[in-house]
Amino acid sequence: MHAPPAFRRRLLDAIPRLRRYARSLNFETAPADDLTQQTLERALLHWSQFDPQRDMVVWLLSIAHNAHLDGLRREARLTVTDPADIERAQDAEGGDPGADVGLQLDLKAALGLLSAEQREPLLLVCVEQLSYAEVATVMNIPVGTVMSRVCRARATLRRFLNGGYAAASPVLRRVV
Amino acid sequence: MTSDRINEEQLSAWVDGELDADAAARMEAWLQSHPEERARAALWASDRDALRKQFGPVVDESIPPGLRAAVWLRPGLPRWAMAAVAAGLLLAGALLGGGAVWQLDHQREARLAAGTPQGWVQRAAFAHSVFVPEPRHAVEVKAQEEHLARWLTRRIEVPVKLFDLRAQGFELVGGRLLPDGPGKSAQLMYQDAQGLRVTVYLRKPEQGTPAAFRYERQGELGLFYWVDEGCGYALVGALPREVLLSLAQAIYAQHPGALPAAPPAASAAAG
Repeated sequence: MHAPPAFRRRLLDAIPRLRRYARSLNFETAPADDLTQQTLERALLHWSQFDPQRDMVVWLLSIAHNAHLDGLRREARLTVTDPADIERAQDAEGGDPGADVGLQLDLKAALGLLSAEQREPLLLVCVEQLSYAEVATVMNIPVGTVMSRVCRARATLRRFLNGGYAAASPVLRRVV
Repeated sequence: MTSDRINEEQLSAWVDGELDADAAARMEAWLQSHPEERARAALWASDRDALRKQFGPVVDESIPPGLRAAVWLRPGLPRWAMAAVAAGLLLAGALLGGGAVWQLDHQREARLAAGTPQGWVQRAAFAHSVFVPEPRHAVEVKAQEEHLARWLTRRIEVPVKLFDLRAQGFELVGGRLLPDGPGKSAQLMYQDAQGLRVTVYLRKPEQGTPAAFRYERQGELGLFYWVDEGCGYALVGALPREVLLSLAQAIYAQHPGALPAAPPAASAAAG
């Protein structure tokens, strides 16, 4: 069976929220909209699994979360990080970014440096304003894990924003 | 709050309003005597606000037509195709808005005057509802069998053409012969990649059956029906009108008497 029109209408209403979340994960518009489209397609395929009593956005965000993870796994298989790129990124972070200039860029750059497992719960709580319990549903992890990941994510983000990126670089060096 | 680790997580949860009233009150009391932690919480809160501000405006952007179309169409089309279809939807909307209104009233009057509800359209809807849910016996003769069109043409006495709706994402499943009042009719069934089915009901019309393009909604089902070149057509499917219309246009353009790629007249679509 196919998704009924009422379901499709609710899906349509949820698109702006989905686009926002996708954009916060993937700053560029085109790949973010690809993620949104994948989410919509998966939702249409699995519409019968949706419980109409539940919050549709939470359900859709969990689909987006899985689609995003699939994308990351695909990428990890396909790309090899060039150590020189990481060095360059670290050099770029070395200079004093100044007080106000490029504040947004700094925020995005810092956010981009968080691991996926920290970034997602932070965004779901801060931007999507989900409760910890809802984030736990979306990411399929215990509430306690949400709490500790959000905490670590914002502590790390703050450290990056304070120019403390170098302090975190040993982690990257170990990966390389 | 015995260790720093716990403190930090509790503090973070407090920033997010996740502590219950008692724990929050204890936290606030504790913060009174810990200005450094208080400052840290304030920074975290301002980071949260900055994140909201950074991505918040995305919800006010207009939705790309491709995403809008993705909601209404079968999954799997490339994005450029979605965009193309979305543009087509806009065009169809303009056509419907244009010359449709007078025609609707005109036909309703004609139908009332004749005193004959379109019984065959109802039968097309029933036949759709009976056979579409059948997983294995949806059709009597499968699409692969070459004699399908010939056989149905002979039985219902109007030329049956197996319309190609692949450009719209629908494959022919097959067809069957059906009783239609005292006569006979044919039903062609199409299916998209997700298994969504639409049917085309074909019959020889009575004298004086109105020829114009009409649309009707019966619950989830949408119906487009028209009479052309001595054949009555009813397209039935649980699809939004715009999508059904694009299928109806494809059928119309392919009907046996059609000029190549002749679209229905703008005024022929009644809503």
